[in-house]
Amino acid sequence: MCSETPPGLWNFPISKTLMIATIAIPLVASVADLKYWFLVEYQPFIKEYKQYYRLVIFQLGAINESDAALLALLWYKFRHLERLFGSRKYLSIICLCWVYTTVLLVAANVAINIIPFVEWNRFPTGALPIVLALFHFYKEYTPQLYEFDMVLTRPFGSHSKQLKWKFNNQFVLNAFITLLLINQGLPGIGCGFLSWLTGVLVDKGLFPGLASFRVPLHSRFMLPGFPRRNNDQNVSLRASNNENSMGGSDETEATDNGDEPARPLGVQFLDTFRR
Amino acid sequence: MEIDVSTIILAIVFFFLFFSSPSGDGVTSQYEFNQLQTLKDQWQSEYDEFQNITIGTNFRNITGWKLSYQDVESNPEINATYPIENKDYTHWSNTQDYTVLPKDILKRISSKIWVDGKNVFPPNITSTLHGAISLTSNDKYEHLPMPVANFYEPPDDFSQSRPKPGERYLEDWPHYGQTHNVTFKHGEVVVQISHADAVSSRFDGRNQEFFNTQSDKWRMLHMQIDFTDSSEKEKHTMSSKAVYDVEKGRIVAMSQSAKFHSLFGYPHYMSLLEDDDKSYDQVKRLMNEYWNASNYVDTLSMRQLQEEYDVANYKCEFMAFLQLEPWDKFTRDQIKVIDQELMWPTGRLTNLSQLPPVNLASGLLYSPDCGLSLEFNNVKGPRYELQVRQIRKHLLVGIALFAGQIYLLLSQMHHTNTPSAVNKMSFWCFYMMNLVDGSLALIYLVASSALMELYLPLIMSAFACLILAMIFETRYLVSIYASQVNERNVGILTLIRGNRNTEEITVPTTIPDEAAISSSIYGRFFFTLMASTFLILSALTWPRNVRTMFEYTCVILLNSYWLPQIIRNAIKGGEPRRQRNRHTETNQTNQANPTPQAQTSMPLLWRFVLGTSFIRITPVLYVFTYSSNVFRHHTDVRFVVILFLWVLFQIAVLYSQDILGARWFLPKSTIPEGYSYHKGMVSQDLLEHGCTEDYTVECAICMNNLPVYVDDIPETHNVDTATYMVTPCDHVFHTRCLESWMNYKLQCPVCRAPLPPL
Repeated sequence: MCSETPPGLWNFPISKTLMIATIAIPLVASVADLKYWFLVEYQPFIKEYKQYYRLVIFQLGAINESDAALLALLWYKFRHLERLFGSRKYLSIICLCWVYTTVLLVAANVAINIIPFVEWNRFPTGALPIVLALFHFYKEYTPQLYEFDMVLTRPFGSHSKQLKWKFNNQFVLNAFITLLLINQGLPGIGCGFLSWLTGVLVDKGLFPGLASFRVPLHSRFMLPGFPRRNNDQNVSLRASNNENSMGGSDETEATDNGDEPARPLGVQFLDTFRR
Repeated sequence: MEIDVSTIILAIVFFFLFFSSPSGDGVTSQYEFNQLQTLKDQWQSEYDEFQNITIGTNFRNITGWKLSYQDVESNPEINATYPIENKDYTHWSNTQDYTVLPKDILKRISSKIWVDGKNVFPPNITSTLHGAISLTSNDKYEHLPMPVANFYEPPDDFSQSRPKPGERYLEDWPHYGQTHNVTFKHGEVVVQISHADAVSSRFDGRNQEFFNTQSDKWRMLHMQIDFTDSSEKEKHTMSSKAVYDVEKGRIVAMSQSAKFHSLFGYPHYMSLLEDDDKSYDQVKRLMNEYWNASNYVDTLSMRQLQEEYDVANYKCEFMAFLQLEPWDKFTRDQIKVIDQELMWPTGRLTNLSQLPPVNLASGLLYSPDCGLSLEFNNVKGPRYELQVRQIRKHLLVGIALFAGQIYLLLSQMHHTNTPSAVNKMSFWCFYMMNLVDGSLALIYLVASSALMELYLPLIMSAFACLILAMIFETRYLVSIYASQVNERNVGILTLIRGNRNTEEITVPTTIPDEAAISSSIYGRFFFTLMASTFLILSALTWPRNVRTMFEYTCVILLNSYWLPQIIRNAIKGGEPRRQRNRHTETNQTNQANPTPQAQTSMPLLWRFVLGTSFIRITPVLYVFTYSSNVFRHHTDVRFVVILFLWVLFQIAVLYSQDILGARWFLPKSTIPEGYSYHKGMVSQDLLEHGCTEDYTVECAICMNNLPVYVDDIPETHNVDTATYMVTPCDHVFHTRCLESWMNYKLQCPVCRAPLPPL
């Protein structure tokens, strides 16, 4: 069985779109000086100004550049999920998580702010809630491939004990998630926990939709080389098969005339400088 | 050039000399040190004296304030050397006996310019105001003598180490002409206001600190007033600190130079209409805070000394008395929120589009030493932050246009992806577009370093522009150039005749490859780019009528980009659309022998032609018809209409070439036949090239035999001439073989002789 996901984003249309959007939206927003659209604070924006649109869009763009970078890396890590569920189901889960996390966070926010002397003002920015909800799915459904021990002999002087750390292939992801949570301070950690909870609830079916909801208008914006699945079995096998056949057919297409293969524009550009 | 150690050392020495400049105060000699020391002593002693002045006492030995208007009026020959006999130094009142202003100017200020009464004025008025200025009088008032101390002058020889003592008057020097007079009646004025409530106490200007403790009442401004006549032949500039009375909306700005130390005059002149000493004390406190925070004496530098000396010599001193229009629709709290939103936008509930402009209700400019008096009319402008927002929006639209142009160019490049098709494109057509885009990119780059608030959108525009110009357009130019390399050294007439007699043409045996061409084109591109950018930037400072003529010519010329393509089409020839369609139909019926697509369609995509014309005319439309464009360019609808018609005409000609054939406007006699690849051969030629007995030749590409139509052998006349191609060098190939080869190179596969494109 193929255990390694192929590198790159070939056949990962959703992951690719999400990564591009994670970088492009903050970039465009900062060029247009509209980054504050993605800023949510209960006081004054929600309570006083009633700018509810902020609640809808705040997960689309990260205000902080380091958050944007971390989120893009996380979407790359989550491409395993896209491979596992298939693009359409993956997109559906993302949409569900988006809606449920937003609703849960807003409800929690309102509930907490009712309590006197307690104030929860800042929301996290960027897709942190969605990513944390998906984090549950990742931990639940992707297998751990390997683990290794890191042994430090007497790290703190000659009298200290041996220190042993266990790492597995997901430790980079764990590190990214931790960084993302810490980076946004208390709201990041609190909302992160709530969002992870949302992920669990969606998965267990307490929040409905995982089994029944699928994103409509699906095939219209999908790429032609989009991997399709008929059932939920043989996921990885099929994906890899599909991919091979795709690559194969592409090559044969290129060499149909028995001619020198047509040079795509990118190759033509490079040829200008290397020939 | 070979790079060895000595070259590097030479370069290092060169750069060291080039970049090393005196740091700090800029003193480079004993003489300059003494000059600066004298200046510092002068400022310090004047400041000490300033501490003793109150609202009730006169200026004493302070540069520029030694005489009052009355002194000069009663004795025009008076000398401004302190102390002046019989001058009352112990009193002060706001009359011409004590001030440098004549009484009717004082009266105008109190009755017309400054209005009384409490009102709401915006505390932050950073903006650029535009309006009209008119001369009230340039001969009515006496000229106050203002001497310049001699220590400002540069040394007479190298051995001199002490500056000369004493002072001199401008009248002793040769006449400077217009610079000390305003000769036009009506002109235009630009007032740039920025806040100067934070200063640095160091030479390098870093670590600015906020010093103003009364910022709710008084603001320190930096103000630059430029005014010119309408043809921009006579320009005057005044750049100085100014004091803004936030509660009353009054501004006083006074120029500062070697002959006029205006800093010490603000307390008196700011409270011209006040009876009590409250405002005097507050402004004095502001001045003291500024003095201490900026470490004024210790940060004086040679540059400042020379600047003050230049200003004193070449310019009149000016005092501006301005009154702002109140923002009475807003409360103070609302204005505070608006200020915060402008400074740090987070989406507060403010209606910024309703924000009134910063408007000078009235204003007066008076020059004590030149006796000039001018008046401001209708001077206003939006808040700086709003202006920046507007520019940002327009820049974003510009970026979108660039993106559209990149997309169109890419589809055009896809459309013409073979050398034969690219050969039909005009090099100069794309060269002109490339030049415009490249110059724009450089201008954006220059602007991005000047306008820090717009750095991001400007640098994005420059980036989009550079990608378009340097990568895509240049790449396309390289392939056009490469496909047309055969035609160099060939006259247009020969080209029109279609390369028939190859013997006449001396073609270089080695045709440069794309890499060599690209380096030469990039070199040429950068050189032209630099030249044109410098030309454009220098043209901005030319007088108006010259500048306008230059601008109009350039815009018309650079919008003639389809003209070279029309000529190119005419040179290459091209059949009318109906004929081309017929070809396609016959090809469809005769699948075995398809003609390449490039031959049947126009080389330029119509999408590209129309899109490019639209994208390139939109900025011109914006600049010439949108009255509040960011360049403050005048509107000229007639010119835009002419330009529009001109572009439309070019497109119409292109379209007619598509419909009627590329050479319809040329007389029949000038149109010779082009080279035809499909023709019969003479048996003699064929035998020379080696053929079998049944008159078949081996195609050098596919190594299969192919039958040839031989003119003098009737048995071969059943061979279709369309199945093979004969090159001008008399080599024979299958049509399909040679056509697919010609998609890559326009050279004969056998002898490398250039091939005329299809």
